[in-house]
Amino acid sequence: MKTAAELKNVSFSYGEDTGKILDNADFRINYGEITLLSGDSGQGKSTVLSLICGIIPNLTPGVLDGEITVDSESTKDKPLREICRKVGVVLQNADSQIIQQTVEDEIAFGCENFNFSPESIKELIKESCEAMSLSPERQTRTLSGGQKQRLITASTLATRQKILILDEPLANLDFSSSVQLMKTLKSLAENGYAVLIIEHRTDLVADYADRICEISGGKVYEIENTKEFSQSKTGIIPDTAENMNSGETAFSIKSVSFSINKKEIIKDLSADISKGDRILLMGENGCGKTTLLRLLARLYKPTDGEIIQSILSSLKKGKTSKEWFRSVGVVYQNPDYQLFMPTVRTEIEYNAFSKEYADKMIELFGFSSLESRHPQSLSEGQKRRLSIAAVLASKPRVLLLDEPTVGQDYNGLKKMTDILNAIHKDTGNTMITVTHDKRCAPALCDKAFLIENGTIAKSGGKEFVEQYFGITEEKQ
Amino acid sequence: MSNIKKSAVYPLLGIAVSVFVLIFGLITAAKDNRCCCIFLAGVFIVFLLTGFHRACLRVILPALAVAALFGLITYLSGRGFDKALSIGLRFIAIGIAVIPGMSIRPVDLTRNLNALKVPRGITLGMLIALNFTPLLKAEIKQIREAMKTRGTGSIINLKILYRAFLIPLVMRLVNISDTLALSVETRGFTLEGNDVSVYKKVSPRIKDGAVAALIAVCAVGALII
Repeated sequence: MKTAAELKNVSFSYGEDTGKILDNADFRINYGEITLLSGDSGQGKSTVLSLICGIIPNLTPGVLDGEITVDSESTKDKPLREICRKVGVVLQNADSQIIQQTVEDEIAFGCENFNFSPESIKELIKESCEAMSLSPERQTRTLSGGQKQRLITASTLATRQKILILDEPLANLDFSSSVQLMKTLKSLAENGYAVLIIEHRTDLVADYADRICEISGGKVYEIENTKEFSQSKTGIIPDTAENMNSGETAFSIKSVSFSINKKEIIKDLSADISKGDRILLMGENGCGKTTLLRLLARLYKPTDGEIIQSILSSLKKGKTSKEWFRSVGVVYQNPDYQLFMPTVRTEIEYNAFSKEYADKMIELFGFSSLESRHPQSLSEGQKRRLSIAAVLASKPRVLLLDEPTVGQDYNGLKKMTDILNAIHKDTGNTMITVTHDKRCAPALCDKAFLIENGTIAKSGGKEFVEQYFGITEEKQ
Repeated sequence: MSNIKKSAVYPLLGIAVSVFVLIFGLITAAKDNRCCCIFLAGVFIVFLLTGFHRACLRVILPALAVAALFGLITYLSGRGFDKALSIGLRFIAIGIAVIPGMSIRPVDLTRNLNALKVPRGITLGMLIALNFTPLLKAEIKQIREAMKTRGTGSIINLKILYRAFLIPLVMRLVNISDTLALSVETRGFTLEGNDVSVYKKVSPRIKDGAVAALIAVCAVGALII
C-alpha cells in the first residue's frame, strides 16, 4: 500500500515548558485503507490530526521536531491551504462550523473554494447528501446535533481530497447513520482513498478498519491483535443499578405535540414515567429526543396536550422556578453553556445540596486534582463530566441527560455509567437519558422508548435496547 | 433543490436601494416632511408589491413604535409637531431602508461579490457578519436557558449577569470563531487570490430593474408633489 501521510520521529509540545505530547512518534496512513487511531482522552489524537493537515504549526504554534509528509512531500513550510487541497478534515464541534443557511450552500462552500465547476458541485452535493441522508434544502439552523455532524462530514466528503481525516465523526450520530458513514468510508478506501478516523466509539469503527493504532505516552503503536483490542474497548458495560421504580408517577405525558415554525417535532405523544425509573430515549438524529427532554424540563411548552408532573406539587402548570430546576437536573449536549464559575470546585459547589455532597461529587468524578482549574480550560470530555457533576451536586430528583457520554474514552464511559448508576441507587432518582452509544445504553435503563417521527413507535425493557442496538445478535 | 428561496432582489442593487432610501429619506425628513412622507409611503408600497412583503411586515410595526416614541419625546420637549414628525420620519426611513437588506440571502450576496472578484476577506467577512445576528440570538437564548437550569438568579443582578451570562457568551463566541476560522481554512478558503467558482450565479432580473425604476419614480414624484 502506498503511504498517504506519515509522521517520522515526530516530537511535539504546545509550549517550551509543557510536556511532550508526542515523543519520537512514528505513524503512517496508507491509500486504500481505513486506519483507526484510538487512545484515551488527552493522549494526543487530535494533535496527530493537526500535524498531518498542517493546523500545527500554521495556526497552532508549538515546539515541533521530526518530519511529516503528505502524499510523499514534506509539509514543512507549506501553508495550510496547500495541505488541505490534499487532506480533507472533519473537525469536532460541528455546531460551530456551519456558516451557511442551507445544507446545499454549506456543502457548496468548500467546492466553490476549490474552484469546482457548478455542474460538478451540483453532482457532489447530491452524492454527499445521499451518503449522509441529508436534504439539500433543509435550513441549517433547524438541524439536530447529529444532523449538523452529518452535514460537516458531507461538506468534507464533497471536496474529494484523497486523504480524509475525521475527528470523532460518530460523536452525535445515531446507530444507522454511523453504520452508513462507515460503509461510505469503506467504499472510498476501496477506491483508493486514505481514511484516518479518530474515534472513541471503537465498537462502530473496528469492524471496518484495516489497521488500528493506539496512541499512548507520546508514541503511536500499531495493534497486532485487533480482535482482542476491539473486544477490550467494545464490551457492553454491565448494569450495576437496581430497579428503583416506586410505582408513583413522576410524569404523565398526555397527547403532547410540539411544533417550531409550523414543523411538528413531537406528535401526539403519550407516556407515563414512574419515579425511580431509568428511561432511555432511542431513535435517529432529529426524531425529537432532545425536544422531549426539553418538554419534560419545561424549557419548552407543548403546543398541544399536557405533561402532568408529580415532582414539585407547589409548582403551577407550565411554570418553572429555581426549586424546579433544583429538582429536575438538566445536562445539555454542549457543556459550555452550563459552566460559568471560575474553578472546578466552585462550579460543583454552586447550588449544591451541601458542601459535603459537592465534595463527594468532586471525588466520584475524579476532579480532586483539577479542582482549582478553570472549567473552560478542561478538555471536552472533562467539561462534559464536570457539567454532569455540577448538576448532580444539587441532588435532583429527576435527571435529564442529553448524550452524556460523547467524547468519553472507554474507561471514562465505564466510570461515568457506574457513577450515574451508583447515584441512582443511592438517591432513587428518575433518570432519563438520550444516548446512541450501545456500550452503555443497556446499563443506563430499565425501560426504553424508541422515538420515530416525533412519537413513541415502540417501548420495552433492556432486551428491547439490546435488540435495537444489535447486541442480541452479537450474543448469539 | 428548487424549494430554496431566492433573494428578493439582486444583492448589490438591494444594497444600493437601501443606501438611497436611507439618504433620501433622512435628507427629506430634515427639509420637507410632506415630501419625505410621500417618498417613504411610495417606497413601502413598492416593496410590498415586489416580493419584500415578509420583511415589510416584520419591520413596519417596530419602526413605527420607535418613531412614535422619539416623536413624542421631541414633541413633549416643546419643539413642536413638525420637528417631532421629522424625527419620527427619520426612524421610519431607517426601518424602510433595512427592508431590502433583510430580503437578501447572505450566500447570494457573497456569490454576487465573488463573481465581481471582490477580495475574499471582504466576502467572507460579510457572510459571517450577516449570519452573526441570528447566531448571537440563538446563543443568548441557550445561555439564558442554561442559567435557569443551573438555578442562577435574575440577569438584572450584575454579578450574575457577568458570571453566568457574559462569561459563557464570550467563551462560546470565542470558541465558535476559533473553530469556524479553522473549519473554513481546512475547507479551502484563503485570503489570497486563488480562483473560486460560483455554484449559483446571481444575475440581475427584469424585476430588479423595475424595482429600481419605481424607487426613482417615488423620489422624483415626492419632489414634484
